Amino acid sequence: MSASTLKRTRRNPAPALKPGQGRGGSSIERQRRKLLVPFVGPAFLFYTVLFIVPTIAAVWISLNEWAGSGPMTFVGIKNYIKVFQDPLFLKSFGNTLLLLFVVGAAIFILAFAMTLVLRDMAAKKIARNVIFFPHLINALVFGILAGFIFNPGGMVNSLLKPLGVTEPPAWLAQDNIFPLIMATMVLTTTGYFTTIIMAGVDRIPPYFYEDCALAGATAFQRLRYVILPLTWDVFGTCAVLWTISSVKIFEIIWVFGGSSGAGLPPTQTWSVAVYTYVTAFSGMSTPAYGAATASAIISLALVTVLVVLLRRAMRRDAIEF
Amino acid sequence: MSTKSRIVRTLAVLAGASMALTACGGGGGNDAGAKDGGTVTYWSMWKVGEAQQKVLASAIADFEKETGNKVDVQWQGRTNTKKIIPALNTNNVPDIIDGSNANLDIALGSTGQALPMTDAYNTEIDGKKLSELIPAKFAAVSNIKGKDGQPWMVPYSLTSDGIWFDAEKNPDLVTNPPASWDDFISLLDKEKAAGQTPIAADGDISGYSAYWFVSALVHSEGPGAFNKIVTDKTGAGWDSPAVLAAAKTVQQLVDGNYLIDGYNASKWPAQQQAWATGGADLLFNGSWIPTETGTYASPGFKYASFPYPAVAGQPSMARTDFTGFAIPKKAKNPAIAQELAAFLLTKKNQDAMGTVAKVLPVRADAAISPELAALKKNIDGAEEIYLGNDGVTAPGYLEKNFNPTDDQLFLGKIDAGEFVSKMKSETIAYWKAQG
Repeated sequence: MSASTLKRTRRNPAPALKPGQGRGGSSIERQRRKLLVPFVGPAFLFYTVLFIVPTIAAVWISLNEWAGSGPMTFVGIKNYIKVFQDPLFLKSFGNTLLLLFVVGAAIFILAFAMTLVLRDMAAKKIARNVIFFPHLINALVFGILAGFIFNPGGMVNSLLKPLGVTEPPAWLAQDNIFPLIMATMVLTTTGYFTTIIMAGVDRIPPYFYEDCALAGATAFQRLRYVILPLTWDVFGTCAVLWTISSVKIFEIIWVFGGSSGAGLPPTQTWSVAVYTYVTAFSGMSTPAYGAATASAIISLALVTVLVVLLRRAMRRDAIEF
Repeated sequence: MSTKSRIVRTLAVLAGASMALTACGGGGGNDAGAKDGGTVTYWSMWKVGEAQQKVLASAIADFEKETGNKVDVQWQGRTNTKKIIPALNTNNVPDIIDGSNANLDIALGSTGQALPMTDAYNTEIDGKKLSELIPAKFAAVSNIKGKDGQPWMVPYSLTSDGIWFDAEKNPDLVTNPPASWDDFISLLDKEKAAGQTPIAADGDISGYSAYWFVSALVHSEGPGAFNKIVTDKTGAGWDSPAVLAAAKTVQQLVDGNYLIDGYNASKWPAQQQAWATGGADLLFNGSWIPTETGTYASPGFKYASFPYPAVAGQPSMARTDFTGFAIPKKAKNPAIAQELAAFLLTKKNQDAMGTVAKVLPVRADAAISPELAALKKNIDGAEEIYLGNDGVTAPGYLEKNFNPTDDQLFLGKIDAGEFVSKMKSETIAYWKAQG
């Protein structure tokens, strides 16, 4: 394939600088450089003020003991030690990883499976809209819906009753809520990633599929040798998006347990984001901003490390077609 | 909730950033005196449309008319006490804010950011000094006082708790409530024998589940008993037989099958709804229950309550939490704010609290809705009062240590002995981590 040559040319924009051209480059280059500051400056400024400075401030706060106002006491890395020694933080961290990997794996397996099915399906546009729909719904709705469906007198138990189930499982018991949350996450997010991956798949020229058909490839072989390699960059981006968003999962946990936000969700369901929030804003005790920011910084570090690793693991020469 | 919380988080981070940049935290002038015709900014815990909001709005209108001052109200809702924490690091601070004593303590009191309300307490209302109008036992509660011993809060209403029932269905309980825990258990047995579900409980709200243990301990050992074992860094407080006995009363409820089916696997307000529609006889909950369940209660439901059973040898007591005003030290117009805080204690406004908003007013002579009569009688007659969760505010202790463990006890996953030993080790670990 000519892909690699194409790519190489793109990365090394030959011809190289001619000796006579000097440092100024072509006039277009010079124009570009002149516009760099007015165009990039404001965005950079906003980004610095809104993201970089608060992040640095958060690092600073995490090294202090602070109730959010009033005096700050510098305590070094004590907050980090405290957070890591807290079994509840480790539990929350574990839950975050479960969401990231288990839910993530489920989402992408389902998304690819659906992609295979949907490509050949009649009325695939409608089907696509239908599976995307849950993603549009606010997490709060699912929290309230969970009550309607799974309460002791709720829909599921009412449906089970005529079937002779008199002792239905305690659906919303504290230990069952997290699996329910995971299932809900799969339900709401699969459609979203299916849509993105489908867009990538739609880009694949039909003659590859014709080729497959002529060669007698199965659906799985088609996935393995055509779809996956040709959508690898899309998939990589989706994986990064999911990593970032899964580490921040908060609302769904907040509304699922603890009565849709009226109380705190049971600790069995906490993610790092919930842990952080409760530590600073539970409203039930003196806020510990230091420990809360320490926990937030840890999740930021987690995202950073994972994204870098993911980018490395997913790095392939992009195939152009 | 979620967008709001995100805004709050963003605000907190931004506030942190501005602190780091300009190092403007702490201090703050407040010497702008009271001038007639001044404006105060008020961040309210109520949202437009709530009964209390209507009462406050009309009181504020009267205040503006009578004093010529202007009140710039922001009806923010309960997140106001969360929003003020980051705001305290900026110059955008309200002159006055209201909330529960617990929330205000967290936001202002415990960090020394609240102005003493001395002027408000010295204000004459209806011909009497405000300090004389507020029952002395309320002022005795240390949680609303600063290090200087001056109260930083002026309450305008109270919340309390009781064991609620339908007086139409159980008229005997109005005249003859259980006098002791044993009486209470025999009442539950009687109800069970009659084929009724004795108690409804929304087990997913840890705060409600905790009423049972905290009330048992405080009633048997006196106000402050729970706070004492929490703040005992050695954890030895949990070894006391009285603590185990209190935990056993909770276990008794579980073992006796007195609690409504599915209380351990439902979402609030499913079970209080079940109670209000006759699914169970009793509900241990706050003074807000008549207004909160009023919209869905069975027709003819007559709200009544009796206090948590007393323990012989202990003074009469009632749980009382305050809702009221506090003024940040950074307020620009504290004098008018103090006036406003005192103004809510006029008889007219207190009557409106009791009869329109249907909450417990602070003044003993204020009118009250019949649903809350028993609660008020209990508070009026109490020799001592104690705060919700016995006033524990140690950072994260309730949310991360006590409530999850107490949930296990109340939901029947561990017994009283396991609860006590778990709490002991949690308490030791907690204080060790606090350093």
